[in-house]
Amino acid sequence: MVFHKRRWLVRRLFFNHEQIRTMSRVKRRTTHPPYWHVLKNNQRDDEKISSDNLCFVREVIQDKYKNKSPIKGSDLDIEKTVWDPKTKRSGVIARNIGVQHMWEKDGKKVICTVLHVLDNHVVRYVPPEEYAKSVIGTKMFKNRKPLGCLVVGAEAANPDRFTRQYCSLFDEVGLLPKKRLARFIVTPNAALPPCTPLTAGHFVIGQAVDVYGKTIDYGFQGVVKRWGFKGGPASHGATKFHRRGGTIGTGRDKARVWPGQKMPGHMGSERRFNRGLKIVRINMKYNIIYVKGTVPGPTNSIVQIFDTILPRRRFTEAPPHPTYFPPEDGTLPQEDIWDSSLHVFGSPSISV
Amino acid sequence: MLRRAVLQTFRQGLAQSFFKRNAVSLSETTVTHQTVETSDEGGEKFVSTQKTGDESGNTVIVAPPEFRFMYPEFLPDPAMETRNRLKEKLERMDMLQRRSVIEIPEFYTGSVMAVTVSDANSPNKFARFVGICIQRGGSGLRAWFILRNVVEKQGVEILYEMYCPLIQKIEVLRLERRLDESLLYLRDALPEYSTFPLDMEPERRLNNLVVPINPLKVKLRPRPWLERWERQNLQGVEDLNLPQRFYDKAEKVAKPWEKYDLMLHYRKTIPAEEQEKIFAEVQSQLQQQELKRKMRRRRGSDNEQ
Repeated sequence: MVFHKRRWLVRRLFFNHEQIRTMSRVKRRTTHPPYWHVLKNNQRDDEKISSDNLCFVREVIQDKYKNKSPIKGSDLDIEKTVWDPKTKRSGVIARNIGVQHMWEKDGKKVICTVLHVLDNHVVRYVPPEEYAKSVIGTKMFKNRKPLGCLVVGAEAANPDRFTRQYCSLFDEVGLLPKKRLARFIVTPNAALPPCTPLTAGHFVIGQAVDVYGKTIDYGFQGVVKRWGFKGGPASHGATKFHRRGGTIGTGRDKARVWPGQKMPGHMGSERRFNRGLKIVRINMKYNIIYVKGTVPGPTNSIVQIFDTILPRRRFTEAPPHPTYFPPEDGTLPQEDIWDSSLHVFGSPSISV
Repeated sequence: MLRRAVLQTFRQGLAQSFFKRNAVSLSETTVTHQTVETSDEGGEKFVSTQKTGDESGNTVIVAPPEFRFMYPEFLPDPAMETRNRLKEKLERMDMLQRRSVIEIPEFYTGSVMAVTVSDANSPNKFARFVGICIQRGGSGLRAWFILRNVVEKQGVEILYEMYCPLIQKIEVLRLERRLDESLLYLRDALPEYSTFPLDMEPERRLNNLVVPINPLKVKLRPRPWLERWERQNLQGVEDLNLPQRFYDKAEKVAKPWEKYDLMLHYRKTIPAEEQEKIFAEVQSQLQQQELKRKMRRRRGSDNEQ
């Protein structure tokens, strides 16, 4: 640690730029999905079909999907695998539905984000050998041991709005096509068979999670909002220099503008992880998780929740592995589970 | 059982749910309003429950319209970008849970209230403050109100969060309304208008059905003021006696067209149909809590006798 600090100090003596030059040329956003994705949304306009035909189409869809018997936990052929501290479990797709204020037992207020775990179903498991050959797999596992990939879908929707190729992704499994898909990297012992539902019970009270989301899109923003520049004086004769960047280089070193120079541009809509957020409350009935802190993205946006990778906040005891299943004997779990540090609203007022 | 319920919701309910959205409703429920006679029960305020019927004859409970003034924090923030029905419903459940523990009475801007809060730094661990409510706001669990009083010639304002669990007791000593929704001008008014004795006793209401409006016109101190009160159309303030140039500038800056802007008002409020739904949801629980409290009070007075 000390060695690195000295190197950084030495570097500072010779250069007077402190700029983010790594990743400055990498494209951070696209408006189109990757080329290997199947075309998702129906491209044709609303066909003018008669109401009778429309009813018939709906009946067909209902027949296709409705008459499947619900999967029982005992029916799913899950091998009884053992959890170990190096296991990577599946994550979950959720919607950030807002922020709620709660209070701890000493009266301190905490801001909790409310995450609604949507109707997640496992679509497919890709074993490590196969996933290592894929486009992303080759990049990810270049110098390390390959892991499996679990494709999870959330938010079932009317098949009408999707293309046939997209619906075929779910046909093999017999699921209604899902609006959102996500891949979760899992160790082979945490693999799940297709059609497994993932609920809020997948997580444990008090555990730390990482939440991935796309940050709020601010659009094209100036340098003051985007980078926190101070701009210029509001008065005292300043001519047209209130929110501008000012100088962008010295003229001496390198005699050009360095790549990564902070300038106005598109701000937001970027992938970010908020790590180590503590789960303080789980509502099993509505599939809601309350997480202490904030998550990237605006309200009503989709996020992904994983078990944390932070080394000091990882699991020491086994969580529901590979995922949570309601108990076989039909006993209902506690509907609303609170962390011990939080003040439950129905309990008496706090006396400090 | 849960397993079946959970999986059924995921699989079989799905097909139903999106068809419900698209299908034409065969029976459109219309709410027919029937006149309900309200009666006083021994002088106590009787909150009338209008039971209306729809076509199929099922009774639909509609909360009385006073609820939107008595419990304004149950209505969510109107900003559409941050609204989510499920989250609002869960928040309302939490609010009702808190209300089952502590009585949060009906109050308005202009009411004199006393709040007891648990405070580690106080001598008896509880701090009681009496003051006039000058402003209230927030929605859901973030609802707050500000109490103002003048203590030893020093004006003091305290913001209380209504659902904070540190609050032990909220009493309304004088329930009344003023001519304005916000009494921030009391900061620039003569101190006697904000002074209330800290040992003030709760006053009995003369008429339990009506909340009186105090038509008091407050006298302001001479300028400078904290805000430009002449630009705010205040009803509860005496004639400001300013030079004409202030009123001319106020007219220039005024936006008289805003009162005709329907969309502006629509965006700032929750639609009436939604308000009805929200209050119908919470009404039965609130009434039950009221009844329990009344019974406890009666039992308490009986024990004393």
